[in-house]
Amino acid sequence: MNSVGEACTDLKREYDTCFNRWFADKFLKGDRSGDPCTETFRKYQRCVQKAIQEKDIPVDGVDFMGPDKDKTET
Amino acid sequence: MKIWSTEHVFSYPWETVIKAAMRKYPNPMNPNVVGVDVLDRSVDTEGRLHSHRLLSTEWGLPGIVRAILGSNYSLTYVKEHSIVDPEEKKMELCSTNITLTNLISVDERLLYRPHPDNPEVTILTQEAIITVKGVSLSSYLEGMMARRMSANASKGWDAIEWIIQNSERENVPLCDIY
Repeated sequence: MNSVGEACTDLKREYDTCFNRWFADKFLKGDRSGDPCTETFRKYQRCVQKAIQEKDIPVDGVDFMGPDKDKTET
Repeated sequence: MKIWSTEHVFSYPWETVIKAAMRKYPNPMNPNVVGVDVLDRSVDTEGRLHSHRLLSTEWGLPGIVRAILGSNYSLTYVKEHSIVDPEEKKMELCSTNITLTNLISVDERLLYRPHPDNPEVTILTQEAIITVKGVSLSSYLEGMMARRMSANASKGWDAIEWIIQNSERENVPLCDIY
């Protein structure tokens, strides 16, 4: 699967692989020992945010109908 | 405004379905989803995982509709917020389109829970609210979108099954295959 930013696809796949392992092997099993993918995510994020700005995709200011939209997130 | 809803039962335990749902794309049943990005992800104080994602999709509005609306977009962007609660065994996902909003909004909500009497089975309830702006096309477009929701929903179920079967067989994260 590709990223919205062509240049970010490799970073995205690296992050996805890390996340999927953490999600299946740690998170779902109740292991809260921290997320090992933070650094990979940061690199991927910088790339995606740049692509979103360049493509002028309106990711902010969308009102969600989600039941948890009013709750604060960490 | 049109409200659409459906329910589906997967013959797999909740954890298996959730793992597949989290890495649902790419799959052969939803070729219209061409990009998926994580915008933000965090675990809240109650231990629930929040993911905000951006989906790049090709909606493929019929040519006649595009001609009338003057819409020249090839890609529509969808923002998605999911919450996975591993304690309650609940995954909730809300999505809404963030482009073409002057024309149409499709707000969708999915909920995956184990069957109350059978933990080997997972129930997906799914609902959508389709609102088309502008009077002349609304009933036509809302009807069309509702029909498409039904078709896409069953593709989505097939996709989850496909992911489960392929990842179980390969026993590797799906993204390694691609």
